[in-house]
Amino acid sequence: MTISRRDFIKAGLAGSLAVGTGGLLSACGTGNTIKPFTASNVGRPRSGGQLRAGLTGGSTADTLSPLNAITNVDFSRINNLYEPLVGLTPDAQPVFILAEELTPNAKATQWTLRVRQGITFHNGKTLTADDVIYTFREILNPKAPAAAAAGLASIDAKGMTKLDTYTVLIPCTTPFATLGEALAIPGYSDIIPVGFNPAAPVGTGPFKVRSFSPGTQSTFVRYDGYWQTAPYLDEIVITDYADQVSQVNALLAGQVDVVNLLSDDVISEVQGESKNVLLSAGGGWNPFTMRVDTAPFSDVRVRQALRLLVDRQQMLDLVFGGFGTLGNDVFGIWAPEYDHSLPQRHQDIDQAKSLLKAAGAEDLHVTLVTSDIAQGTVLAAQVFAQQASEAGVSVSVDDVTVNEFYGTNYLKWPFAQDYWFYNFYLPQVSLATLPTAPFNETHWKNAQYDSLYAQAIATVDPTLRTEIAQEMQRIEYDQGGYIIPFFPPVIDGFGANVGGLASSKIGLSLNAYDFRGVWLS
Amino acid sequence: MAIVTTTATPETARELTPRKPHPMRDMLIKRGLIGILTLVLVSILVFAATQTLPGNAASAVLLNTATPQRLHALEQQLGLNRPAVEQYWTWLTGVLHGNFGKSLANGQPVSTLVGGRILNSLVLVVLAGVIGTLIGVGLGVLAAARRDSVFDHVLSVVSLAVTALPEFVVAVVLVIFFAAVVVHWFPAVSVFVPGTAPWSNPRELVLPVATLVIVIVPYVFRMMRASMVDALESDYVQMARLKGVPRWRILLVHALPNAIAPTIQVIGLSFLYLAGGVVVVEYMFNYPGLGQALVSAVSDRDIPQIQAIVLVLAAFYIAVNILTDVISLAVSPRRRLPRS
Repeated sequence: MTISRRDFIKAGLAGSLAVGTGGLLSACGTGNTIKPFTASNVGRPRSGGQLRAGLTGGSTADTLSPLNAITNVDFSRINNLYEPLVGLTPDAQPVFILAEELTPNAKATQWTLRVRQGITFHNGKTLTADDVIYTFREILNPKAPAAAAAGLASIDAKGMTKLDTYTVLIPCTTPFATLGEALAIPGYSDIIPVGFNPAAPVGTGPFKVRSFSPGTQSTFVRYDGYWQTAPYLDEIVITDYADQVSQVNALLAGQVDVVNLLSDDVISEVQGESKNVLLSAGGGWNPFTMRVDTAPFSDVRVRQALRLLVDRQQMLDLVFGGFGTLGNDVFGIWAPEYDHSLPQRHQDIDQAKSLLKAAGAEDLHVTLVTSDIAQGTVLAAQVFAQQASEAGVSVSVDDVTVNEFYGTNYLKWPFAQDYWFYNFYLPQVSLATLPTAPFNETHWKNAQYDSLYAQAIATVDPTLRTEIAQEMQRIEYDQGGYIIPFFPPVIDGFGANVGGLASSKIGLSLNAYDFRGVWLS
Repeated sequence: MAIVTTTATPETARELTPRKPHPMRDMLIKRGLIGILTLVLVSILVFAATQTLPGNAASAVLLNTATPQRLHALEQQLGLNRPAVEQYWTWLTGVLHGNFGKSLANGQPVSTLVGGRILNSLVLVVLAGVIGTLIGVGLGVLAAARRDSVFDHVLSVVSLAVTALPEFVVAVVLVIFFAAVVVHWFPAVSVFVPGTAPWSNPRELVLPVATLVIVIVPYVFRMMRASMVDALESDYVQMARLKGVPRWRILLVHALPNAIAPTIQVIGLSFLYLAGGVVVVEYMFNYPGLGQALVSAVSDRDIPQIQAIVLVLAAFYIAVNILTDVISLAVSPRRRLPRS
């Protein structure tokens, strides 16, 4: 195919290729000759040097506080400064970091946590149980709840007690069998020392802060007292970039060594200049959200029809050049509970039409609220509108500013989009699909689903818990308010001198900004 | 009664004695007062505009983590739940005490956040303005002196073509040729270590300054050429030629001072354009200036920072306007006389 992706989108959106574009488009995507890397290996590991990272996604609201990290650039700093009790492997599975034991009681209403000994903060203070208690109380501070508070709401922070110098008893107000998983989401529950001073932040991470200027630049130096294998790099300089154009220019001109969050259309440009591209199959997800309590989406047949209208492969081809993973309207793709046996949903215009007819919604007209909240969201909305028109469904795309999107109507839009970082299945449910969930954007409420959750969250045995969770996924697969067409790829760029980078399924760029194994040749 | 009139007479007489007319001083006082009034109006307008924008600083900071509890806590902390008039009044009284407030996005004092950036942008604007003016005036004089030569025609066509190019196109072309793809002579983006002065990073300044220079030179050049052509056709230049005055002297001493007055207005306009044009150029080059900060502050709904930056830009506009008029007055002696 000689037609470029952009031309195709334009043509497709103009309506001139409304029918039968699927085959052509997927051919476009698979005809790609680009081979991004999944690891970088140049020479032998070598100590020393300064890694310069040029990252987009930050702003003057950048923060070094692990309690309030929100953007990609925040996570890039937080993940090097601090460490969590439990973290993620590159395969997105939980692994102990500062914790060495985390055991629930039989009903999952109380956990015993023991932290490793001999770990020090950047100011020399030893990590103890007191720091863990302090951190949880800060996160769950009712006056200023941290970003992680919603996911850890079951913890009774006031009731936490110190059993010995390194051991803490964590009581929960409701059963909380997934505490370990909930703690593993990067950048949300990192441990800070008692009396944490945000102006002079210290953590236990491999790098300590040297300078920080929000929205501009920050520098980090290796922490020599680090308890794990020492990183190769002496320093990291993280510079905020306003957009991809200047970011890629900086990479091409050799002013930065690594860049994050590229779109697929710059891959060939970057590779043509002897730089490379690191491709990861991320576990984050950018859903379309249908409010199940609002017409026309209150009719389950309308929701099912809209899900069947999506040509997922075509959407992935158009939005991310075919990189990424197909979605099946259920979140948590790398979670152990994710049910891979559910049949992959494909576009089925005929069935969608008959479902709409049965619902009395043949001439369906809906407004889809979109915004540039994450990579590719607006384009995905436009592709959705185009695909829906094949079944006679008219979708007006309302592209609002990010501030309006997250303004007073956030979580109230009848039909919109959102983005989520990777999370395990049940912790994600507690955030998004329970009547009590703080981010229930689809207003999902299903008695059977809720009682299954209550059962799962009190089940300590992971095998049993997975069975219940998969039953919940089937309900969502059949009736849910989310359309999850794909799990986006993560595309990062790096200079030819950078070694030790590896792709990961976590969904944050550059293996969740873990630079411990990175060297400069 | 009589006493009153007698004492009044010298008073009246003194008042009637016309003061020495001083149009320059009068203009400065009047324009200065209007300028201050303008700044106050601008601050009210900008504040009102930020109030009508959807979302606020709290939702802009929290984005998709904005649960009602977190939103409420942050709004409380930032004082966003107070009535708009009260928020404005707090801000205004702060400014009158020399306190521009704290950034809503990161809690740092606005004066430190904006202060360094003013210097960075000012260096960019002044360098581009001075270099652009010198090149524009020089080329204009040369083109007028060699009117209708190949040199003149080529310059006119090229300047017309460049006028049609927006600054981001110029920037992209320069980056492709001099930084990223063809040769790697200059940095493609201008990243300084925060806190260092722009002149200690001269290489970083080259491409942003070049972009702005290329954008303003055509305007200065065309105005300079036109008014120089007029001046060269005037009787006094004819006279000077007939007297046998050397050609360079005619150009620089006889024609240029008379031709420069209209160009000064264009140069002033170019500086005003630069104050706005830096926004795009700073964004393209990731240059840590006021423009980049303004874009970021608007998307963060960071009202104190927006206010401070807009006021700085507005004050710059006012100052340049006044300065342009002062210089115009200074170079045109007849306009300094009082109107009769």
